[in-house]
Amino acid sequence: MNQLIYDIAVWLDDTAWSTAIHESYYLYNWIEATHVLTLMLSLGILFLIDMRMLGWALPNVPATRLAEKLNAPMLVGFVVMFITGILLFYAVPVRSAQSLWFRIKMVLLVVCAVNAYLFHKRMTQSLASWENEPKAPSALRRGAAISLAFWTVIVVCGRFIAYDWYDCDYGQTDLVRALAGCIDGQTRF
Amino acid sequence: MNSSSVSSRFTVLGPYPRTAVAVLLLGAALLFSFGGMRTSLYPELLSVFEWMETTWFGYVGKTWGGAFALVQGGHLVSLGVLGGSVLFSDGRLLGLFSSLPIRDVIDGAHKVFVGALIVVVATGVFMVCGVAVKVYYLPVFWYKMLTLTVGVLFAFFVRKPLLDRNIDQVNPWVVRLVAVSSVMVWFTVAATGRWIGFS
Amino acid sequence: MSDQQKETDKTLRDDTLAAVVVSGSIVTFFIVYWFFEIQSVRELLEMAYG
Repeated sequence: MNQLIYDIAVWLDDTAWSTAIHESYYLYNWIEATHVLTLMLSLGILFLIDMRMLGWALPNVPATRLAEKLNAPMLVGFVVMFITGILLFYAVPVRSAQSLWFRIKMVLLVVCAVNAYLFHKRMTQSLASWENEPKAPSALRRGAAISLAFWTVIVVCGRFIAYDWYDCDYGQTDLVRALAGCIDGQTRF
Repeated sequence: MNSSSVSSRFTVLGPYPRTAVAVLLLGAALLFSFGGMRTSLYPELLSVFEWMETTWFGYVGKTWGGAFALVQGGHLVSLGVLGGSVLFSDGRLLGLFSSLPIRDVIDGAHKVFVGALIVVVATGVFMVCGVAVKVYYLPVFWYKMLTLTVGVLFAFFVRKPLLDRNIDQVNPWVVRLVAVSSVMVWFTVAATGRWIGFS
Repeated sequence: MSDQQKETDKTLRDDTLAAVVVSGSIVTFFIVYWFFEIQSVRELLEMAYG
């Protein structure tokens, strides 16, 4: 599996556009800046919804109406994050694919997507019965707390990708090498 | 809900004290920037930034890159929450999410904004202590500090007093202008912050 | 119009005028700043890539 991931990453790395983004004077920086700044749109609004569900913020705003109204701009933000994220990976595919923090981030993104789906499903099923309560029902509060915690870890992991503490180039423990998908002699930094 | 009445404001500045203070501060900022005070004050600040690196924050930030990065992650999360509260509140002022009660949105979002701002500033101070002398020499750092100052003063002394009153009393175009400029300022704070990382 | 109403109107005018002055300055500054910033980036890219 790690060999397959590495081979795909190398194939991507060898494409002209990957090199063009990576070596561009401004483009990589602009893509990364867009990725980080869109946090305000995607994550900021998501955290507002989560905090409302937990009763920590906006207690007088009807909860389900808040979630419904903020869904569209939040999704726009996530689409932009997704596109810029793919471009960032495409610019430096091998190092990203062999980054421990990147892999943790991807796993947590899937977990958060599942959590969001279940949250939305439960919310629409219990629509309007608790809309004006300061706190949502306990199942939804659990979903909101999981969302807050895991998204925070995702952001921190995203920040850690830039650091080389667990890069395959350096001598790592077997556990780190397994998790990061390091293959002997096969790196590109 | 009314803000403070004229009798409790400084009447020595005339019938429009808040406007007078705003104009004076803008004039002072221009004078400071182009009148030579800035260039004479700048060298004096180096010793302050050198001292910041010797503090406990500076020591931790420089010794353990992981601690610095963790705090930076917190800075990013709180920046996201701050931006989200600004976008939500100003979006409502611009007519988006119109079925949500405007008073509750403004008041609720402001509380989130204040909490996020405290975390952003606290984590920002920690990070600056770790790289104080480096950022001292970066023009983009000073742009960020200037924009942050403008943003905070604007949010607490211009935007909030205006929005604390009954929104229906305020000219809708003024409300929109305030919302647009608020988004611009906070976006610039975030963008210049990101650019520090590229410098 | 009562005195209290007059005072409320005065403070509203004051707050509104302050908001217009400051917001107008912010928007004007950013329009001018981004115009020159985009121009300088275009010149830089033209120099770098022809």
